[in-house]
Parts: sequence; C-alpha cells; structure tokens
Amino acid sequence: MLIIRNLHAEVEDKKILKGIDLTVNAGEVHAIMGPNGSGKSSLASVLAGRENYQVTEGEVLFEGKNLLDMAPEDRAREGLFLAFQYPIEIPGVSNINFLKTALGEIRAYKGQPPLDAKEFLKLSREKQKLVEFDANLVNRSLNEGFSGGEKKRNEIFQLAMLEPSLSILDETDSGLDIDALRIVSQGVNKLRSEKNAFIIITHYQRLLDYIVPDFVHVLYNGRIVKSGTKELALELEEKGYDWLKEESREKATI
Amino acid sequence: MANDNEILDNIANKEYEFGFVTDIEMDILPAGLNEQTIRYISEKKKEPEWLLEWRLKGFQAFRKQKLPEWQNFTLPPIDFQKISYYAAPRNKKKYNSLDEVDPELLATFEKLGIPLSEQKALAGVAVDAVFDSISVATTYKEKLKELGIIFCSFGEAVQEHPDLVKKYVGSVVPHSDNIFAALNAAVFSDGSFVYIPKGVRCPMELSTYFRINTENTGQFERTLIIADEGSYVSYLEGCTAPMRDENQLHAAVVELIALDNAEIKYSTVQNWYPGDKDGKGGIYNFVTKRGICKTNAKISWTQVETGSAITWKYPSVILQGDNSTGEFYSVAVTRNKQIADTGTKMHHIGRNTRSRIISKGISAGHGQNSYRGLVQIGSKADEARNFTQCDSLLIGDQCGAHTFPYIESKNNTATVEHEATTSKIGEDQIFYLNQRGIDSEKAVALIINGYAREVLNQLPMEFAVEAQKLLSITLEGSVG
Amino acid sequence: MNALQEHTLPLYGKIVDKYHELSAKDAPPLARQSAFHKFQLLGFPTIKNEDWKYTNITRFLKDEYALEAPAVNAPAPLVAKATIPGLECYRLVLVNGTWNGEAVGGTLPKGIDIRRTSEAAKAPEYAGFFSNEFAGTQHFAALNAALYTDGLFIHAAPNAALDKPLHIIHVYTGDRNFWVQPRHVWAAGRNAELSIIESTVSISGEPFIWVNSFTGIFAHPDAKLDHVNLQIAAENVRLISHTSVHQKKQSLYNNYTFTLPGAGLVRNDLQARLEEDHTETHLYGLYLTAGDQLVDNHTLVDHQKPHCFSNELYKGVLLEQSTGVFNGKVYVHRDAQKTNAFQQNNNLVISKKATIDSKPELEIFADDVKCSHGSTVGQFSEDALFYLRARGIGEASARALLINAFAFDITDKIKHAPVADYINQLISHHIPVNHAG
Repeated sequence: MLIIRNLHAEVEDKKILKGIDLTVNAGEVHAIMGPNGSGKSSLASVLAGRENYQVTEGEVLFEGKNLLDMAPEDRAREGLFLAFQYPIEIPGVSNINFLKTALGEIRAYKGQPPLDAKEFLKLSREKQKLVEFDANLVNRSLNEGFSGGEKKRNEIFQLAMLEPSLSILDETDSGLDIDALRIVSQGVNKLRSEKNAFIIITHYQRLLDYIVPDFVHVLYNGRIVKSGTKELALELEEKGYDWLKEESREKATI
Repeated sequence: MANDNEILDNIANKEYEFGFVTDIEMDILPAGLNEQTIRYISEKKKEPEWLLEWRLKGFQAFRKQKLPEWQNFTLPPIDFQKISYYAAPRNKKKYNSLDEVDPELLATFEKLGIPLSEQKALAGVAVDAVFDSISVATTYKEKLKELGIIFCSFGEAVQEHPDLVKKYVGSVVPHSDNIFAALNAAVFSDGSFVYIPKGVRCPMELSTYFRINTENTGQFERTLIIADEGSYVSYLEGCTAPMRDENQLHAAVVELIALDNAEIKYSTVQNWYPGDKDGKGGIYNFVTKRGICKTNAKISWTQVETGSAITWKYPSVILQGDNSTGEFYSVAVTRNKQIADTGTKMHHIGRNTRSRIISKGISAGHGQNSYRGLVQIGSKADEARNFTQCDSLLIGDQCGAHTFPYIESKNNTATVEHEATTSKIGEDQIFYLNQRGIDSEKAVALIINGYAREVLNQLPMEFAVEAQKLLSITLEGSVG
Repeated sequence: MNALQEHTLPLYGKIVDKYHELSAKDAPPLARQSAFHKFQLLGFPTIKNEDWKYTNITRFLKDEYALEAPAVNAPAPLVAKATIPGLECYRLVLVNGTWNGEAVGGTLPKGIDIRRTSEAAKAPEYAGFFSNEFAGTQHFAALNAALYTDGLFIHAAPNAALDKPLHIIHVYTGDRNFWVQPRHVWAAGRNAELSIIESTVSISGEPFIWVNSFTGIFAHPDAKLDHVNLQIAAENVRLISHTSVHQKKQSLYNNYTFTLPGAGLVRNDLQARLEEDHTETHLYGLYLTAGDQLVDNHTLVDHQKPHCFSNELYKGVLLEQSTGVFNGKVYVHRDAQKTNAFQQNNNLVISKKATIDSKPELEIFADDVKCSHGSTVGQFSEDALFYLRARGIGEASARALLINAFAFDITDKIKHAPVADYINQLISHHIPVNHAG
C-alpha cells in the first residue's frame, strides 16, 4: 500500500529525515516510536504534504502512485488520512458542513455519486456511535473550544467518516487521559480491517497496549534505527531510548 | 483606602525636582529669527558654506509651513520671534579636559546626577552634555577613538568629519520634513554625532544629557548616529530644564542610519520641566526622530516620557532593507495639565520586515495622553509583520486617554495586528496588595511599574533603575 | 467652500440653483437654510479632511449629474433580486427615493405609522424629527438636509411592535446620470419594537447614479431597534449613506451593514449617540469588496452617559484591486463612567492588488471604563488551509470555506434565518474560485 524509499526531507535548510525506508501493507498496523525531535511528526507531515517540508531525496509510492507529486487534497482523496497532533480550530466552519464538503469532494474524486442529506445524516449518526463522539460537538464550529480529548476524538470521528485506506495517527495519545485513550483506541480497533492500514506515531508504549501493532519501528535522528514486533515497544518502555541512541552512534562512527 | 481628592492634590502639589537655574555667564543672541540669525549661528560655529546653505534652505521651508492643525488639543500660539536661538556658556573655547570646564556648570551636571567626570564614568557611560545649545564635554573620547568610534558634538563633527556629516545630515529627516524639523535645520545649535565603524560593537552606552537653562531660549539640537555595516551601538539621552513661567521650545531632530546588519538602540528618558499644576510654563517638546534600516538592520526606540508641557514626537523607522526590524517601546506619563501626543511610524518597504510597537500611556490629574501611530505596508513588503499593543491607564476622572492608530496595507502577504485597551488602575489589585500589608502608595508604584515593565526592560540597566524611580516619583500619591 | 471645487465642479453650481429653486417654491425652513450654509462652508470633502483621508471622491464628482431623479416604476427583476426568499415580512419599495404608498404583507399592526417623508415633515406631531438639531454637520449630511425632498418616515407609537420585519427595497434606476438625496426618519417610541431590513439595488451599466442618503433613527426609552442594511447596488452607483442614531435610556439598537461587490463607491457613516444611560448598541459590519470598489465604513459610538454598553465588529474581505477603509471611533465623555465599549476590525486581504486602511480610534475622558479595540490585517491561516486540504477539500473550496467562516461571525448575528441564508448565498456567489496570489 505504502512504500517509502530512502526518503530525505528538510525544513528551512535543516535536515529532518535522512533516509527512511518503510513498507506498509493492507491490514497492517505499524507503530513508529522515538524520542522527541527524532522526526516522527515530520514524517507524518511529509506524507500528508505540508508545504514547508522539502523532500530532497527518495520516493513514496501510495497504491502504486507517486505520492510526493500530489497536492495535499489529492493525497487525502486517494485515501491517506492524517490525524493531527494539534487539530486546528476553525471558528465559523461547522463540523458537519466541513465533513459534508470533504466527503463530497472525496466521493466526486472517486467518481461516486454524492450522498444525499438523509444518507449523510445516517452515516454520521452511525459513525458517531461507533467512535462514541458527542452529537453536540458535531454541530459546533470545527474544533472551536473543544478540549484536547474532544479534538482527538473528532479526528477519529473524521477518520471513521472518510474511511481512508491508510491512516497516520500523529501522537494521538498525547494529552489524553486514560478514558479518552480507551475511547480513541476502541474507535481505531473497530475501524481496523484487512483492507486498511495504520501508522501510529507515539512517544509512549501506553497506546500500544490498546492498539496492538504488527510492527514497531524506532526513529532516531531522521532514520529508522531499529524495527521489530510489539516486543520492541515493551523493551523501549523498560530501557528508554538511550541504549538505541548509543547503538546508532556506534554505527555511525563505524 | 486613601481619599481620592487628597491624593490627587498630592500629585498636583508635587514639585519638579530639577527646576533649579544655574548662574553662568552666557553668550545670548537677542530674540528673533531671520536670515541674519542663521548666518550669525553659522559664522559663530565656523561652518562651511554648504552647511550655511542647507540651513538657509531649512529656513525657506520653515517660512512656507504652517503649524499643524490635526492634533486633538489646542496648540497655544508660538511666537518664533520671541525666542533666542543661540545661548552658550561665555567661558567657552574648547575644553581639553574637564578641569577647564566652569565649575558651576559641572556642579549643575552633578545635581542632575550625570556621571560627567571621568571617575563617575566608571559606570561605563560615555557622556556628551548639551547645555542650552552647546555641547560642553564629551567623556571617554580617547577610549572610543581606539575603536574608531566617533562620539563628539555635532559642531566638532562638522569641523573634523565634514564628509560624513555632509553625506548623512538630512538624509533621513529632510530639511523640509515638517515645520519644527525645518526650524531645527535652520537654527540647530549643536547636538551629538556618533559614527560606529564597520563590524564594531560599541563597548559602552553612549549618552547625552540635554539641559535648557537660559530664559527665553529654545533648544534645537541635532543628533546624527551612523552605524556602519555590522556594527552595534546603544545610545541614551536624558533631558531636564529649570522651572520657568514661560513656555520654552525644544525642537530637536534625531537621525539614525543603520547600514546592513547594523543595530542601533536609542533610549530616552525625557523629564523636561512640565509646567506647574495650572499648566503655566513648561517645555514644548516637539521632536522629530527617525531612523532608516538597510538590509538585516535593526533600530529600536525606547522612551520614558514624564516631562514637558506638550510632547509631540513619533520616533519612526523606515524599514527599507529586506529582513530589517523596527521597534518602539514607550511609557508616557501625563499629569497636571500635561499633554503627550506620541507614537511611532513604521514604514515597511523591504521584504520580510518586522515591527513591534509597545505603548503604555498613563494619565493622571488633568493630563491628556494620546497614542498616534502609523503602520504602513508597501506593495513590495512581502511577508511583513507588525504587532502593536497599546494600553492606557487612567488615574482619576479628569484625565483622558486617546488612541489613533493608522494601518495602511497594500500587500496581501502582510500580517498586522493592533490591540489597545483602556482601563483604570484596579481597585481590587490595590486592595489585594493592601491585604498583603503594602500601603496604597507603594501598591500604585508596584502596579505602574508592572504595567510599564515590558518597556522598562528595554532600557539599559543603569537607566532602567532611574526610569523606574522617575515613574514612582512622578505618580507619587496617585491612588485611584 | 474650496475655491478650486467651486470653479471646477459643474455640480456645485447646480446645487446652488437647486437650493434656490426649492427656496422659491416655499420659504425654506430654518433647518434647510442652516444646512445649506453649512454645506457652503464645508464644500465637498477632499483627502485633506481627516475623515476622508483614504477616500478620494473627486473623480466621482466630476461626472455630470442631474439633480432631479427620474420618476419611473420599479423594474420587476430588481425587486426580485432584492426579495429575500422565505422571509415573512411587510415589504415596500422606494424608487429613486420615493415611495408610492403601497406595501405588501398585510395590514400593519396598530401604532405603526409609515408615510412619505414629504408628508411627515408637514405633520405638526412629527416636527421634532425635522428640527435644526438633526440637520447634520458633515459635508454630505448637510447637503442632504439642504436639498432632500422625500424618503420614508416610520413611527412606532409607545409599546407598538412590528409582528414581522419590514423590508424596504431601495431601487435606483434611470436613463441618465442623476443625483438623489433621500431622507428617512425611523422612530421607535417608548418600549416599541422595530425590525427593519433595507436592501439597496440598482440597474447596472449606465447611467451613473449618486445616492446621498440620510437616515435619522430615534430609539426612545426601552425601545428596541433591529436594523439590517444590505448594499448590493451595481458598479455605476455611488452610495453615500449617513445613519444617525439617537438612543435614550435602556434602549437597544442593533445594526448589521453588509456591503457586497458592486457599487463603485460606498461610504457609510454610522453614528450612534448614546444620549442617556444604560443603553445597548451592537454594530456589525461585513464588507466584501471586488473590482475597483472603494468601500469606506466610518463609525462613531458616542458614549455620553454612564452604564452604556457598545460592541462593534467589522470584518472585511478584499478581492481584486478593491480598497477597503475602516474608521471606528469610540468616544467616551467625562460623564460616561462605567462604560463598556469594544471594537474590533479584522481584514482578510485576498488579492495582491487590494488595499486596506484601518483606523480604529479610542477617545476616552472617563476613568472607570472598560474599552478596547483591535484591528488585524492578514490572510488565511496556512495551517487551517492545510487541515482542510488534508481532509480532501480542494484548495479553492477550502479558501471559499474559510472566507465563509470568516464572515460567519457577522452573518451568525442576524436574527432572521432567511436573511442570514440569503446573505450567505450572496457571499458565496461572490467568492472567487481562485484568488491565490
């Protein structure tokens, strides 16, 4: 589904990603962990097409197409979804109107007929229930005045509505209390299927207790320095990141 | 809590601390303004022909202009013929060392607390003192000379560095800029001149003290500071004047030139005589201050304005070079019948230029305080940014606070933000401090200083303490 | 009078002639006379007048205008354009400032009196609304007071209320350049309620039509007035609109002014005078400008007495090579303790050639007050744009969505849903598909 080859990227002439290789297949959940500043969120931003990131080398194929050539909206329409670490507040744009527009454009892109009001409402109710999202929030302005937890749940609600094939969760667990974390995780677990895939970016192992990954990668200094299965996350939890930093430094000097 | 009226009376009765007159023999030109006056000044100062011509052009411009009418107060008529345009301590040649300076004059500067003598200059401040119209002493000259820094009186610069003066004088504030700038161009008597060579970081604060002493004189100094590429200088000015029943005119011009990558920091503590509680006497402080920034340069104005009967000044920055920065930090206090109309102009011309304006007005008694500012974004100033915060604090119900910001933008990539608030000093804040054992007097001083903190923080250390004290004294007893 | 204008503007001579013509018919009332002298003193404003610093009208004044407005019927398409779908209302149409006396929507409730200004001015019981005091001291207000002939007079007796809004459609049309000066007076008696929606429409193309309108609004104690002003005239219209509001004790006045692409020159002077205590005033404005439009909103909130509350929010969206001007003044007199006054002006500059001049002002002479103002000039938040695009919304739609969201703060405040929907439609219609750069 997603193939990243030797991806290099920089922001304002600062090298952030220094050669990422990663393959994600349908039905898989990949966790990307790493210390602060290792490039985790940058990877998410590059994949979603944030403009201040310059890709200097490498390629990304998404469903066989060159992802890096696409505008952010086309990436979304192709089925890539980013759950933002800091979802934006947009006063004056109602949540529901926003979703209607987004879904309408994605369907049009795929050549599907638009949903009528009734169908849309039905879908929206269904998904609200699925991810336990408060109906009151649906009718408010987009994320305006939402608590941190409500914003993150809104991201998952949007994920449920737009049904992407690949979802990237960028530190969705940060700032969540244990209840919110449980609700968000359950939402994701319900949405997991053989057809879609997830990349979960997190600093802590905690989230991975709820969303069990198939693979765990450790990102450090712009590179994936170690890959493994969920046991790797436990090891990181226990030993911290320092041993990996040492290891990667040794490698670098050799 | 103390009675409001009583306290307001206290403020009103507070006397001006620096109101003494110094008894020194002076050379005073009789009052009056005509071409002869200008020729006399120029000759007295042994000026080159081009400077006399420039002065005369200034005089022509002055005669063509009218007094401004846009202000929101009534400007009392000014009789330019009743002012003497030149007054200098008689005993004047050129001082080789401080020992030669009239001891009475030195005593005056002592009283003002200026670290004029070399010993006192250990504080690390190089001082140029302008007494009425003439620069009387410049300390620390030798040390600065080693670095190639020129810090001298304007008159001396005209003699010793005519090329620099000729190149830059009037380049930022033209001789015809406005009526007071034109008057200054015609009759300016002295002032300070600073040149910082390429790449030099001036190791100490440079400072000028201005003092108007003689009756019926105006003070028309002119300051020119040139920071060559990659250099840095921090410059301070302070001002006082004796108590007089007559209004005296101070129409100075300051020009700053920050070449590529240079930075100039200009701080003012203005405490001219404000007049008495009925508004009699006091200085009319009509000053034109402007700087120009070339690429990556920065000019920062900081001012603490507590004196003068009427203050009228808008230290401005022309952000001509790409990535240049202009800043304006101001605290202005008015009480009794004082009027302050001050602010800044930020002209964004280059790309990616930045400006920041922080203005704090405090009005007490019958004081009127206006912020008047312009933020102008030209069509080529892509990605320009401005932030303006301008707050007014009112103490008592007879004063006024006014805000007149002008925002003009011709660029769709620019961002301008202006915020302003007006409020009275919080009774609950004072009560809270009372409850913690602080009396109302100190509480007000604390609150005012807190309110002005953002601006005071911009001043060099020695000045910040002085300014803080000045604020507290100025508003002594002003519990609201 | 500025000598230059006097000699170069043919218009000025016509104005003098017109005044004498009006005077010859009837001995001019004192108000008219003093207003004319005022205008003679002031002349037309130039950019040297601080209040007209950013609004140069000289080029508009140079055209030839007749001072007689043609008497014609309202073209049905224009009335249709102004009609608000789904709005339950009383509706009446003024053509070139004159009302033919017809209204649709049923019988007006008791206590609501609507007449032509020309009739009301003669009625002794309404004499107070046409006194010298309200003649106006500004250039165009003075000119209007000197030369007006008609307009719309609305009076709500004490405790009377409109059961549904009154929609006034101003239609301007003709086949030659003309100048028209309608004068309206709307008064709500003690505890009365009025909800008024105004729409200004015009034919497009030729000719040039100059509208110099003046509306005097009087809110007596406890009265409530809701006033929506929709300016959707075409590019050939020059619209100078002065609204002078007088509020008494505990009255409420809400104004919503919308200016959309069209009229080449729009100048709105909205002045609210809070003459007694405990009043409440809300001024909302939205200007969406395009083409060569010059749209200038000048507002004054004059806090004369204590315990009054005012809130002002004006938002601007500037497209193409248009120019927007905002000048908001909050004046707090010495007596007006416990004033709460807020003012905000936000501008979204969409295109490279657009200009915005914003001048929010506070003049405060009382100490126990809470006053603030703010003004911003900016663009879309890039983060917001990216967020929308990352959800699959195309860039053009995302921009349109953000403009609507920006305007939402204003449209949201309108009480009648059909009016808000109608305005949102108008806004969407004018939002360009692509104005990037």
